[in-house]
Amino acid sequence: MLSRLALRSVQEARPFLVAVRPTSTTAVNKATERDEVNFPRRARPVEPGKVRMGFLPEEWFQFFYSKTGVTGPYMFGVGLTTFLCSKEIYVMEHEFYTGLSIFVMAVYAIKKLGPGIANYLDKEIEDIEGSWVKYRQESVEGLKQAVEDEKKAQWEAEGQKILFDAKRENVALQLEAAYRERLATVHSEVKKRLDYQLETANVKTRIEQKHMVNWIVNNVKASITPAQEAAALKQCFADLKGLAPQSA
Amino acid sequence: MMTNLFSVFDPTSSVLMLPLNWMSTFLGMMFLPMLYWAMPSRWSLLWTLITSTLHKEFKTLLGSSHFGTTLMFVSLFSLIVFNNFLGLLPYVFTSTSHLTMTLALALPLWVAFMMFGWINHTQHMFAHLVPQGTPGALMPFMVLIETISNVIRPGTLAVRLAANMIAGHLLLTLLGSTGPSLSATLISMLIIGQILLLILEAAVAVIQSYVFAVLSTLYASEVT
Repeated sequence: MLSRLALRSVQEARPFLVAVRPTSTTAVNKATERDEVNFPRRARPVEPGKVRMGFLPEEWFQFFYSKTGVTGPYMFGVGLTTFLCSKEIYVMEHEFYTGLSIFVMAVYAIKKLGPGIANYLDKEIEDIEGSWVKYRQESVEGLKQAVEDEKKAQWEAEGQKILFDAKRENVALQLEAAYRERLATVHSEVKKRLDYQLETANVKTRIEQKHMVNWIVNNVKASITPAQEAAALKQCFADLKGLAPQSA
Repeated sequence: MMTNLFSVFDPTSSVLMLPLNWMSTFLGMMFLPMLYWAMPSRWSLLWTLITSTLHKEFKTLLGSSHFGTTLMFVSLFSLIVFNNFLGLLPYVFTSTSHLTMTLALALPLWVAFMMFGWINHTQHMFAHLVPQGTPGALMPFMVLIETISNVIRPGTLAVRLAANMIAGHLLLTLLGSTGPSLSATLISMLIIGQILLLILEAAVAVIQSYVFAVLSTLYASEVT
Protein backbone atom coordinates (compact mmCIF):
# COMPACT_ATOMS: atom_id res chain seq x y z
CA MET A 1 0.00 0.00 0.00
CA LEU A 2 2.82 2.37 0.79
CA SER A 3 4.49 1.57 -2.54
CA ARG A 4 1.19 2.50 -4.29
CA LEU A 5 1.21 5.77 -2.34
CA ALA A 6 4.83 6.38 -3.36
CA LEU A 7 3.98 5.67 -7.02
CA ARG A 8 1.00 8.03 -6.87
CA SER A 9 3.09 10.77 -5.28
CA VAL A 10 5.71 10.41 -8.00
CA GLN A 11 3.01 10.53 -10.68
CA GLU A 12 1.57 13.64 -9.13
CA ALA A 13 5.00 15.18 -8.71
CA ARG A 14 5.89 14.65 -12.37
CA PRO A 15 3.81 17.62 -13.65
CA PHE A 16 5.76 19.76 -11.22
CA LEU A 17 9.01 18.41 -12.59
CA VAL A 18 7.76 19.13 -16.09
CA ALA A 19 6.81 22.60 -15.00
CA VAL A 20 10.23 23.21 -13.52
CA ARG A 21 12.08 22.17 -16.69
CA PRO A 22 11.26 25.04 -19.10
CA THR A 23 13.41 27.59 -17.34
CA SER A 24 15.32 29.36 -20.06
CA THR A 25 18.53 31.17 -19.41
CA THR A 26 17.85 33.81 -22.04
CA ALA A 27 15.54 36.73 -21.36
CA VAL A 28 12.03 35.71 -22.35
CA ASN A 29 9.02 37.98 -22.08
CA LYS A 30 6.58 35.87 -20.05
CA ALA A 31 3.81 38.48 -20.18
CA THR A 32 1.73 36.86 -22.92
CA GLU A 33 -2.01 37.38 -23.09
CA ARG A 34 -4.17 35.40 -20.72
CA ASP A 35 -6.28 32.61 -22.16
CA GLU A 36 -9.71 34.05 -21.36
CA VAL A 37 -11.66 31.02 -22.57
CA ASN A 38 -10.12 28.31 -20.42
CA PHE A 39 -9.10 30.58 -17.55
CA PRO A 40 -11.78 33.25 -17.33
CA ARG A 41 -11.12 36.18 -15.06
CA ARG A 42 -12.82 36.07 -11.70
CA ALA A 43 -16.01 38.11 -11.78
CA ARG A 44 -17.19 39.85 -8.63
CA PRO A 45 -20.82 39.21 -7.70
CA VAL A 46 -22.73 42.37 -6.79
CA GLU A 47 -25.46 40.73 -4.73
CA PRO A 48 -24.93 37.89 -2.22
CA GLY A 49 -26.30 34.49 -3.14
CA LYS A 50 -30.08 34.21 -2.98
CA VAL A 51 -31.35 32.53 0.19
CA ARG A 52 -34.72 31.66 1.62
CA MET A 53 -35.52 32.18 5.29
CA GLY A 54 -32.14 33.78 5.77
CA PHE A 55 -29.81 30.82 5.40
CA LEU A 56 -31.16 28.17 3.00
CA PRO A 57 -29.69 28.56 -0.49
CA GLU A 58 -32.08 28.99 -3.39
CA GLU A 59 -30.26 26.23 -5.30
CA TRP A 60 -31.60 23.61 -2.87
CA PHE A 61 -35.16 24.68 -3.64
CA GLN A 62 -34.47 24.60 -7.36
CA PHE A 63 -33.09 21.10 -6.94
CA PHE A 64 -36.36 19.93 -5.40
CA TYR A 65 -38.62 21.87 -7.78
CA SER A 66 -38.52 19.52 -10.75
CA LYS A 67 -39.56 16.49 -8.67
CA THR A 68 -41.76 17.83 -5.92
CA GLY A 69 -42.83 21.35 -6.95
CA VAL A 70 -42.99 24.38 -4.70
CA THR A 71 -43.95 22.78 -1.38
CA GLY A 72 -41.47 19.91 -1.75
CA PRO A 73 -38.49 21.32 0.13
CA TYR A 74 -40.65 22.63 2.97
CA MET A 75 -42.29 19.25 3.43
CA PHE A 76 -38.91 17.64 3.37
CA GLY A 77 -37.66 20.01 6.06
CA VAL A 78 -40.66 19.59 8.31
CA GLY A 79 -40.59 15.80 7.90
CA LEU A 80 -36.89 15.56 8.61
CA THR A 81 -37.06 17.72 11.74
CA THR A 82 -40.07 15.80 13.03
CA PHE A 83 -38.30 12.51 12.45
CA LEU A 84 -35.12 13.66 14.19
CA CYS A 85 -36.96 15.09 17.18
CA SER A 86 -39.48 12.31 17.64
CA LYS A 87 -36.94 9.51 17.41
CA GLU A 88 -34.68 11.43 19.81
CA ILE A 89 -31.88 11.34 17.25
CA TYR A 90 -31.63 15.07 17.89
CA VAL A 91 -31.97 15.49 21.65
CA MET A 92 -33.37 18.79 22.87
CA GLU A 93 -31.09 19.37 25.76
CA HIS A 94 -29.53 22.53 27.16
CA GLU A 95 -27.71 23.47 23.97
CA PHE A 96 -31.02 23.50 22.13
CA TYR A 97 -32.56 26.10 24.42
CA THR A 98 -29.39 28.21 24.18
CA GLY A 99 -29.67 27.87 20.41
CA LEU A 100 -33.30 28.96 20.55
CA SER A 101 -32.41 32.07 22.53
CA ILE A 102 -29.60 32.88 20.15
CA PHE A 103 -31.96 32.43 17.21
CA VAL A 104 -34.48 34.86 18.72
CA MET A 105 -31.70 37.36 19.48
CA ALA A 106 -30.19 37.02 16.02
CA VAL A 107 -33.49 37.56 14.21
CA TYR A 108 -34.25 40.61 16.33
CA ALA A 109 -30.77 42.08 15.88
CA ILE A 110 -30.74 41.50 12.13
CA LYS A 111 -34.20 42.99 11.64
CA LYS A 112 -33.53 46.02 13.85
CA LEU A 113 -29.84 46.84 13.40
CA GLY A 114 -29.21 45.21 10.03
CA PRO A 115 -30.43 47.97 7.69
CA GLY A 116 -28.74 50.68 9.76
CA ILE A 117 -25.33 49.01 9.74
CA ALA A 118 -25.74 48.04 6.08
CA ASN A 119 -26.52 51.62 5.10
CA TYR A 120 -23.57 52.96 7.08
CA LEU A 121 -21.17 50.45 5.52
CA ASP A 122 -22.58 51.08 2.06
CA LYS A 123 -22.01 54.78 2.54
CA GLU A 124 -18.41 54.14 3.58
CA ILE A 125 -17.88 51.95 0.51
CA GLU A 126 -19.45 54.67 -1.66
CA ASP A 127 -17.03 57.16 -0.12
CA ILE A 128 -14.02 54.98 -0.87
CA GLU A 129 -15.18 54.22 -4.40
CA GLY A 130 -16.15 57.85 -4.84
CA SER A 131 -12.71 59.00 -3.81
CA TRP A 132 -11.08 56.74 -6.41
CA VAL A 133 -13.53 57.81 -9.12
CA LYS A 134 -13.15 61.43 -8.05
CA TYR A 135 -9.37 61.16 -8.23
CA ARG A 136 -9.58 59.76 -11.74
CA GLN A 137 -12.13 62.36 -12.82
CA GLU A 138 -10.16 65.18 -11.29
CA SER A 139 -7.02 64.00 -13.03
CA VAL A 140 -8.88 63.95 -16.34
CA GLU A 141 -10.33 67.39 -15.61
CA GLY A 142 -6.92 68.69 -14.68
CA LEU A 143 -5.39 67.35 -17.86
CA LYS A 144 -8.20 68.78 -19.98
CA GLN A 145 -7.71 72.12 -18.28
CA ALA A 146 -4.00 71.86 -18.99
CA VAL A 147 -4.78 71.23 -22.69
CA GLU A 148 -7.05 74.29 -22.73
CA ASP A 149 -4.40 76.40 -21.04
CA GLU A 150 -1.79 75.19 -23.49
CA LYS A 151 -4.01 76.12 -26.41
CA LYS A 152 -4.59 79.54 -24.91
CA ALA A 153 -0.86 79.99 -24.41
CA GLN A 154 -0.26 79.11 -28.06
CA TRP A 155 -2.92 81.60 -29.17
CA GLU A 156 -1.34 84.23 -26.97
CA ALA A 157 2.05 83.46 -28.44
CA GLU A 158 0.64 83.97 -31.90
CA GLY A 159 -0.85 87.22 -30.79
CA GLN A 160 2.65 88.29 -29.88
CA LYS A 161 3.49 88.41 -33.58
CA ILE A 162 0.85 91.07 -34.15
CA LEU A 163 2.27 92.91 -31.20
CA PHE A 164 5.70 92.79 -32.80
CA ASP A 165 4.34 94.36 -35.98
CA ALA A 166 2.55 97.03 -34.03
CA LYS A 167 5.69 97.78 -32.06
CA ARG A 168 7.72 97.94 -35.23
CA GLU A 169 5.22 100.39 -36.72
CA ASN A 170 5.32 102.43 -33.58
CA VAL A 171 9.06 102.66 -33.69
CA ALA A 172 8.96 103.64 -37.34
CA LEU A 173 6.43 106.36 -36.55
CA GLN A 174 8.59 107.64 -33.76
CA LEU A 175 11.61 107.71 -36.02
CA GLU A 176 9.62 109.60 -38.69
CA ALA A 177 8.42 112.10 -36.11
CA ALA A 178 11.94 112.64 -34.80
CA TYR A 179 13.21 113.11 -38.36
CA ARG A 180 10.54 115.66 -39.16
CA GLU A 181 11.18 117.51 -35.97
CA ARG A 182 14.85 117.73 -36.74
CA LEU A 183 14.05 118.81 -40.29
CA ALA A 184 11.90 121.66 -38.93
CA THR A 185 14.68 122.63 -36.51
CA VAL A 186 17.18 122.70 -39.33
CA HIS A 187 14.80 124.78 -41.44
CA SER A 188 14.25 127.32 -38.68
CA GLU A 189 17.94 127.57 -37.87
CA VAL A 190 18.88 128.12 -41.49
CA LYS A 191 16.09 130.72 -41.83
CA LYS A 192 17.39 132.49 -38.75
CA ARG A 193 20.85 132.65 -40.19
CA LEU A 194 19.52 133.91 -43.55
CA ASP A 195 17.26 136.46 -41.84
CA TYR A 196 20.22 137.75 -39.94
CA GLN A 197 22.17 138.19 -43.10
CA LEU A 198 19.19 139.94 -44.68
CA GLU A 199 18.73 142.26 -41.74
CA THR A 200 22.34 143.18 -41.65
CA ALA A 201 22.27 143.90 -45.37
CA ASN A 202 19.10 146.00 -44.97
CA VAL A 203 20.56 147.92 -42.10
CA LYS A 204 23.72 148.53 -44.00
CA THR A 205 21.79 149.83 -47.03
CA ARG A 206 19.60 152.04 -44.87
CA ILE A 207 22.52 153.57 -43.10
CA GLU A 208 24.34 154.07 -46.36
CA GLN A 209 21.30 155.74 -47.83
CA LYS A 210 20.78 158.00 -44.86
CA HIS A 211 24.39 158.90 -44.82
CA MET A 212 24.35 159.57 -48.51
CA VAL A 213 21.21 161.75 -48.30
CA ASN A 214 22.65 163.74 -45.47
CA TRP A 215 25.91 164.24 -47.34
CA ILE A 216 24.11 165.32 -50.52
CA VAL A 217 21.82 167.73 -48.68
CA ASN A 218 24.70 169.16 -46.71
CA ASN A 219 26.76 169.57 -49.83
CA VAL A 220 23.90 171.23 -51.73
CA LYS A 221 23.17 173.48 -48.78
CA ALA A 222 26.79 174.43 -48.67
CA SER A 223 26.93 175.06 -52.41
CA ILE A 224 24.06 177.54 -52.42
CA THR A 225 25.59 181.16 -52.93
CA PRO A 226 23.72 184.23 -51.53
CA ALA A 227 23.13 185.51 -55.05
CA GLN A 228 21.40 182.27 -55.97
CA GLU A 229 19.44 182.39 -52.73
CA ALA A 230 18.21 185.93 -53.45
CA ALA A 231 17.29 185.02 -57.01
CA ALA A 232 15.35 181.96 -55.87
CA LEU A 233 13.50 184.00 -53.26
CA LYS A 234 12.58 186.66 -55.85
CA GLN A 235 11.35 184.03 -58.21
CA CYS A 236 9.19 182.47 -55.42
CA PHE A 237 7.65 185.89 -54.69
CA ALA A 238 6.87 186.38 -58.34
CA ASP A 239 5.21 182.99 -58.62
CA LEU A 240 3.20 183.59 -55.50
CA LYS A 241 2.04 186.92 -56.89
CA GLY A 242 1.07 185.31 -60.07
CA LEU A 243 -0.82 182.50 -58.24
CA ALA A 244 -2.62 184.83 -55.87
CA PRO A 245 -6.22 185.25 -56.78
CA GLN A 246 -7.09 188.16 -58.86
CA SER A 247 -8.60 190.18 -56.08
CA ALA A 248 -8.18 193.71 -55.82
CA MET B 1 -25.85 13.05 27.77
CA MET B 2 -24.55 15.25 30.53
CA THR B 3 -22.78 13.27 33.21
CA ASN B 4 -22.12 16.39 35.23
CA LEU B 5 -22.45 20.11 34.80
CA PHE B 6 -18.90 20.48 33.53
CA SER B 7 -19.10 17.90 30.82
CA VAL B 8 -19.91 20.66 28.33
CA PHE B 9 -16.24 21.63 28.62
CA ASP B 10 -15.10 18.09 28.04
CA PRO B 11 -16.53 16.73 24.77
CA THR B 12 -15.15 13.73 22.92
CA SER B 13 -15.63 13.16 19.24
CA SER B 14 -16.32 9.65 18.05
CA VAL B 15 -13.84 9.69 15.14
CA LEU B 16 -10.90 7.57 16.31
CA MET B 17 -11.51 9.01 19.81
CA LEU B 18 -9.36 12.00 18.77
CA PRO B 19 -10.05 15.31 20.47
CA LEU B 20 -11.25 16.98 17.26
CA ASN B 21 -13.27 19.47 19.26
CA TRP B 22 -10.14 21.63 19.45
CA MET B 23 -10.53 22.32 15.72
CA SER B 24 -13.10 24.93 16.75
CA THR B 25 -10.13 27.18 17.51
CA PHE B 26 -9.68 27.60 13.76
CA LEU B 27 -13.37 28.26 13.13
CA GLY B 28 -12.67 31.98 13.32
CA MET B 29 -10.60 31.72 10.15
CA MET B 30 -13.81 30.99 8.25
CA PHE B 31 -15.14 34.36 9.33
CA LEU B 32 -12.22 36.48 8.20
CA PRO B 33 -13.06 38.42 5.03
CA MET B 34 -11.37 37.73 1.72
CA LEU B 35 -9.33 40.74 0.71
CA TYR B 36 -8.95 39.83 -2.96
CA TRP B 37 -10.81 42.79 -4.43
CA ALA B 38 -9.62 46.36 -4.20
CA MET B 39 -13.06 47.70 -3.26
CA PRO B 40 -14.10 46.46 0.21
CA SER B 41 -17.31 44.55 0.76
CA ARG B 42 -19.49 45.29 3.80
CA TRP B 43 -17.97 42.64 6.00
CA SER B 44 -14.38 43.34 4.96
CA LEU B 45 -14.96 47.06 5.56
CA LEU B 46 -16.40 46.35 9.01
CA TRP B 47 -13.48 44.10 9.86
CA THR B 48 -11.01 46.69 8.58
CA LEU B 49 -12.70 49.37 10.70
CA ILE B 50 -12.50 47.17 13.82
CA THR B 51 -8.86 46.22 13.31
CA SER B 52 -7.78 49.74 12.45
CA THR B 53 -9.47 51.09 15.60
CA LEU B 54 -7.63 48.46 17.62
CA HIS B 55 -4.41 49.27 15.86
CA LYS B 56 -4.78 52.95 16.81
CA GLU B 57 -5.47 52.00 20.41
CA PHE B 58 -2.46 49.74 20.67
CA LYS B 59 -0.21 52.17 18.89
CA THR B 60 -0.92 54.79 21.55
CA LEU B 61 -0.04 52.29 24.26
CA LEU B 62 3.08 50.98 22.60
CA GLY B 63 4.55 54.33 21.61
CA SER B 64 5.80 55.13 18.17
CA SER B 65 9.05 53.19 18.28
CA HIS B 66 7.69 49.76 17.40
CA PHE B 67 5.82 49.71 14.12
CA GLY B 68 4.27 46.41 13.31
CA THR B 69 4.05 45.14 16.89
CA THR B 70 0.35 45.96 16.94
CA LEU B 71 -0.10 43.21 14.35
CA MET B 72 0.58 40.54 16.94
CA PHE B 73 -1.82 41.99 19.47
CA VAL B 74 -4.60 42.65 16.98
CA SER B 75 -4.40 39.08 15.72
CA LEU B 76 -4.34 37.84 19.32
CA PHE B 77 -7.50 39.85 19.91
CA SER B 78 -9.21 38.43 16.84
CA LEU B 79 -8.32 34.84 17.77
CA ILE B 80 -9.70 35.24 21.26
CA VAL B 81 -12.81 37.18 20.26
CA PHE B 82 -13.78 34.64 17.62
CA ASN B 83 -13.20 31.76 20.01
CA ASN B 84 -15.18 33.39 22.79
CA PHE B 85 -18.02 34.53 20.60
CA LEU B 86 -18.42 31.37 18.55
CA GLY B 87 -18.29 29.31 21.72
CA LEU B 88 -21.60 30.88 22.71
CA LEU B 89 -23.29 29.26 19.74
CA PRO B 90 -24.75 25.83 20.44
CA TYR B 91 -22.57 22.79 19.85
CA VAL B 92 -19.39 24.88 19.38
CA PHE B 93 -16.55 24.06 21.73
CA THR B 94 -15.10 27.09 23.54
CA SER B 95 -11.37 26.48 23.40
CA THR B 96 -10.53 29.62 25.40
CA SER B 97 -12.38 28.23 28.41
CA HIS B 98 -9.52 25.81 28.98
CA LEU B 99 -6.42 26.82 30.87
CA THR B 100 -4.41 24.80 28.34
CA MET B 101 -5.37 27.27 25.65
CA THR B 102 -5.19 30.49 27.63
CA LEU B 103 -1.93 29.59 29.32
CA ALA B 104 -0.55 28.64 25.91
CA LEU B 105 -1.36 32.20 24.82
CA ALA B 106 -0.31 34.07 27.96
CA LEU B 107 2.78 32.19 29.14
CA PRO B 108 4.93 32.41 25.99
CA LEU B 109 4.14 36.12 25.69
CA TRP B 110 5.06 36.81 29.29
CA VAL B 111 8.19 34.65 29.25
CA ALA B 112 9.33 36.35 26.05
CA PHE B 113 8.78 39.82 27.50
CA MET B 114 10.57 38.91 30.73
CA MET B 115 13.54 37.28 29.02
CA PHE B 116 13.92 40.19 26.61
CA GLY B 117 13.50 42.77 29.35
CA TRP B 118 15.80 41.22 31.93
CA ILE B 119 18.56 40.35 29.49
CA ASN B 120 18.58 43.55 27.47
CA HIS B 121 17.23 46.25 29.77
CA THR B 122 18.18 44.93 33.20
CA GLN B 123 18.45 48.31 34.87
CA HIS B 124 15.14 49.46 33.39
CA MET B 125 13.44 46.33 34.74
CA PHE B 126 14.92 46.84 38.18
CA ALA B 127 13.73 50.44 38.10
CA HIS B 128 10.19 49.31 37.31
CA LEU B 129 10.10 47.28 40.49
CA VAL B 130 9.79 50.45 42.55
CA PRO B 131 6.94 52.74 41.46
CA GLN B 132 7.45 56.48 41.39
CA GLY B 133 6.88 58.33 44.61
CA THR B 134 7.17 55.51 47.12
CA PRO B 135 8.51 56.58 50.48
CA GLY B 136 11.98 55.24 51.28
CA ALA B 137 10.95 52.94 54.10
CA LEU B 138 8.40 51.08 51.99
CA MET B 139 10.76 50.30 49.12
CA PRO B 140 11.73 46.72 50.09
CA PHE B 141 8.08 45.77 50.47
CA MET B 142 7.24 47.45 47.17
CA VAL B 143 9.93 45.42 45.43
CA LEU B 144 8.49 42.25 46.91
CA ILE B 145 4.96 43.16 45.92
CA GLU B 146 5.89 44.22 42.42
CA THR B 147 7.89 41.02 41.91
CA ILE B 148 4.96 38.90 42.99
CA SER B 149 2.56 40.84 40.76
CA ASN B 150 4.96 40.43 37.86
CA VAL B 151 5.34 36.71 38.43
CA ILE B 152 1.61 36.01 38.60
CA ARG B 153 0.87 37.98 35.43
CA PRO B 154 0.67 34.99 33.06
CA GLY B 155 -1.49 33.24 35.63
CA THR B 156 -3.89 36.17 35.90
CA LEU B 157 -4.13 36.63 32.16
CA ALA B 158 -4.88 32.98 31.59
CA VAL B 159 -7.17 32.41 34.53
CA ARG B 160 -9.16 35.62 33.96
CA LEU B 161 -10.06 34.58 30.43
CA ALA B 162 -10.72 30.94 31.25
CA ALA B 163 -12.75 31.70 34.36
CA ASN B 164 -14.95 34.25 32.58
CA MET B 165 -15.69 31.83 29.79
CA ILE B 166 -16.36 28.95 32.17
CA ALA B 167 -18.65 31.04 34.36
CA GLY B 168 -20.76 32.24 31.46
CA HIS B 169 -21.09 28.83 29.88
CA LEU B 170 -21.83 27.20 33.19
CA LEU B 171 -24.73 29.58 33.84
CA LEU B 172 -26.15 29.03 30.39
CA THR B 173 -25.82 25.28 30.73
CA LEU B 174 -27.45 25.35 34.14
CA LEU B 175 -30.41 27.34 32.88
CA GLY B 176 -30.72 25.30 29.74
CA SER B 177 -30.60 21.92 31.44
CA THR B 178 -33.87 22.71 33.21
CA GLY B 179 -35.49 23.19 29.80
CA PRO B 180 -36.66 19.66 29.01
CA SER B 181 -38.66 19.49 32.24
CA LEU B 182 -40.47 22.84 31.91
CA SER B 183 -43.98 23.65 30.81
CA ALA B 184 -44.61 25.88 27.81
CA THR B 185 -45.09 29.20 29.66
CA LEU B 186 -42.00 28.65 31.77
CA ILE B 187 -39.99 27.94 28.65
CA SER B 188 -40.71 31.47 27.38
CA MET B 189 -39.35 32.85 30.67
CA LEU B 190 -36.34 30.59 30.28
CA ILE B 191 -35.78 31.96 26.79
CA ILE B 192 -35.98 35.53 28.08
CA GLY B 193 -33.52 34.78 30.87
CA GLN B 194 -31.15 33.10 28.48
CA ILE B 195 -31.40 36.02 26.08
CA LEU B 196 -30.34 38.38 28.84
CA LEU B 197 -27.49 36.09 29.82
CA LEU B 198 -26.41 35.79 26.22
CA ILE B 199 -26.28 39.55 25.83
CA LEU B 200 -24.05 39.66 28.90
CA GLU B 201 -21.95 36.79 27.61
CA ALA B 202 -21.49 38.38 24.21
CA ALA B 203 -20.30 41.57 25.87
CA VAL B 204 -18.02 39.60 28.19
CA ALA B 205 -16.61 37.69 25.24
CA VAL B 206 -15.59 40.85 23.45
CA ILE B 207 -14.44 42.66 26.57
CA GLN B 208 -12.31 39.82 27.88
CA SER B 209 -10.52 39.45 24.58
CA TYR B 210 -9.92 43.17 24.52
CA VAL B 211 -8.63 43.12 28.06
CA PHE B 212 -6.28 40.26 27.26
CA ALA B 213 -4.87 42.05 24.25
CA VAL B 214 -4.56 45.41 25.99
CA LEU B 215 -2.83 43.96 29.01
CA SER B 216 -0.38 42.09 26.82
CA THR B 217 0.29 45.36 25.05
CA LEU B 218 0.86 47.11 28.35
CA TYR B 219 3.25 44.45 29.53
CA ALA B 220 5.11 44.73 26.24
CA SER B 221 5.31 48.50 26.46
CA GLU B 222 6.59 48.28 30.02
CA VAL B 223 9.54 46.21 28.97
CA THR B 224 10.83 48.49 26.25
